[in-house]
Amino acid sequence: MSVELAGLRLPLAPFTLEVDAVLAGRVCAIFGASGAGKTSLLEVIAGLRHPAAGRVAVGGATLTDVAGRVFVAPERRAIGYVPQEGALFPHLSVRRNLLYGHSLRTERPAGLNFTHVTEVLEIAALAERAIATLSGGERQRVALGRALLAAPRLLLLDEPLAGLDAPLRERLLPYLARVRDEFKVPMLYVTHSPDEVMALCDDVLVLDRGRVTRRGSPQELFVPAKGPRYELRGG
Amino acid sequence: MSAEAWQVTWFTAGVAALSTLLILPFGTALAWLLARREWRGKSVVETLVALPLVMPPVATGLLLLKLLGRRGPLGGWLERTFGWEIVFTWRGVVVATAVMSFPLLVRTARVAFEGVNPRLERVARTLGAGPWRVFTTITLPLASRGLVAGTLLAFARALGEFGATIMVAGYIPGQTATLALSIYHLVQLGRDPEALGLLGISVALAFGAVWLSEFLLRRRPA
Amino acid sequence: MPLRRLLALASALPLALAARAADLNVFAAASLSDALKEIARAYEPASGDTLHVNLAASSTLALQIRQGAPADVFFSADEAKMDDLAKAGLIAAGTRVSLLSNTLVIVVNADGGAAIASPADLAKPAIGHLALAEPQTVPAGIYAKEWLQGAGLWKKVIDKVVPTENVRACLAAVESGNADAGIVYKTDALISKKVKVAYEVSVADGPKISYPLAVVQGAKNGAAARKFTAYLASPPARAVFEQYGFLPAR
Repeated sequence: MSVELAGLRLPLAPFTLEVDAVLAGRVCAIFGASGAGKTSLLEVIAGLRHPAAGRVAVGGATLTDVAGRVFVAPERRAIGYVPQEGALFPHLSVRRNLLYGHSLRTERPAGLNFTHVTEVLEIAALAERAIATLSGGERQRVALGRALLAAPRLLLLDEPLAGLDAPLRERLLPYLARVRDEFKVPMLYVTHSPDEVMALCDDVLVLDRGRVTRRGSPQELFVPAKGPRYELRGG
Repeated sequence: MSAEAWQVTWFTAGVAALSTLLILPFGTALAWLLARREWRGKSVVETLVALPLVMPPVATGLLLLKLLGRRGPLGGWLERTFGWEIVFTWRGVVVATAVMSFPLLVRTARVAFEGVNPRLERVARTLGAGPWRVFTTITLPLASRGLVAGTLLAFARALGEFGATIMVAGYIPGQTATLALSIYHLVQLGRDPEALGLLGISVALAFGAVWLSEFLLRRRPA
Repeated sequence: MPLRRLLALASALPLALAARAADLNVFAAASLSDALKEIARAYEPASGDTLHVNLAASSTLALQIRQGAPADVFFSADEAKMDDLAKAGLIAAGTRVSLLSNTLVIVVNADGGAAIASPADLAKPAIGHLALAEPQTVPAGIYAKEWLQGAGLWKKVIDKVVPTENVRACLAAVESGNADAGIVYKTDALISKKVKVAYEVSVADGPKISYPLAVVQGAKNGAAARKFTAYLASPPARAVFEQYGFLPAR
């Protein structure tokens, strides 16, 4: 599934997001420091924000085209979005959260059903619980499950492991790998952690203050380091 | 309680309920717009909505009287088109109380909507829900406590309305006599004991409505 | 200072005080508004006193006086209100005098108002709202009700009655078109260009209307109050009242 971003421009304070790239691969990382514009980019792709100029196409279908006055509403894009801190609906149970988008979809790929998804993410036992009673790790898995059950053709993950402590991150990484391998849904993975990039992604786009500064595979861009396990080549 | 006191109480409660029901759809929609949207001239709208709260009620009543009188721009049209007379009738009471309690509803409802994390609404859109479905399944349920509190507050305000009501509807026994107007009238007549009786009813009703409203506003969902 | 000089100064004080200008609070019925304002304009420079005229329904004024409002003079539109205050000991003895009378008229809007040839027309459906000053308390309303009862019309019009706070509010209701007709004093109809008189209740058919005047007991400016009430009964003031359509007391 390719994601085409052509001539995308979005003024942010204090810089402008400008992206011209084609993203492919199973999991493409959008890497950069906080405030580099990563979340805004995801929002544009998901249709939650209008860029000032440019085009967004997924799998060949144009979703946003400012010049051509094309804009497909977010609910019709089949692009899943897992924001930081999951954003689970506090007034619904885990089950109803998970199934929120499920009933709205007409086409449902075989593997993306309730039993299979909850099995892979090991959240079946949580089904009748209230959101408030879940731990941080459980919440992230439920948020992931919810997005998957809406049968997305592309999944956007905004720093899903940020805000979790190191041991928890270690425990959750395999689940993300499982999602990548079991469900075969292409993902755009926003992070500022080189370790996560190395573990999950096959393509990397580096954003610095709204601009794409590097493109390539993780191996090309990252080197082992003394402190954190990996760091960006060339600092 | 005398039969007359019952009649006045029922009339007051009925008019307050009707006026609250009337402002509910438009007030809720406006509150949502104020919470979620920006537009040029938004501050003008906000100020207009707040006016009845800040202006002397009789001043608002005078404005309504000029507007809705039989020779007024709106009143004349309503009489010609629907045969409705507003001034000096129960309809006048409903209009006056609706206008005076409208700002309370909008302000409380707006805060309720602002308390709903917009991120939740955005995620719901990506899951396939259109704007109306997001509103009914996410926004409304999460704002419901504040909305009910705002409705109760508006109802309580409508129960006690005097200044605008006396201008637009006057005190006509059996037709426009609310609790507040009756208290005033009884005092004019020197019938203080009866006025105090109605005062007691007013306090009880207002206390109940406001207490319930505060209770709902104070309990925050986890 | 020698005691004799002190005493001489002290005895001169009341005279000096009396000579100083007084602030008079005059509580007067609403129907007297225009006539009193004109009288005040002539009286103030001549007497050196300042008149603060509180105009409202006589019932409201009586209530205020009973609750301790600082009135010096009370000019009521009916005897009943004055009687109530006298019973409560609130009127200065020997100062009460019935000064004026008035007649009732039915008014309609001057611009396209309803057609009323006789009082019975008030019962017709064309008259949807009939404005009266509050018929339980305000003199103008009490008089109107008395007349309507006497004419056998009260029960027929009672459902259309819109009670107003005072007789001038009644006039305003007809002026604005919100009431189809109203019953006010002839003196009120005369000062308004927006209403016209549809029917005048003759002195013989109408109720006995009487405007009593008195000084309030314990008035702060008793001397000035008596001076003013005397002036109101004098020819120059009477001429003004007559000009506005008031009748002498019967």
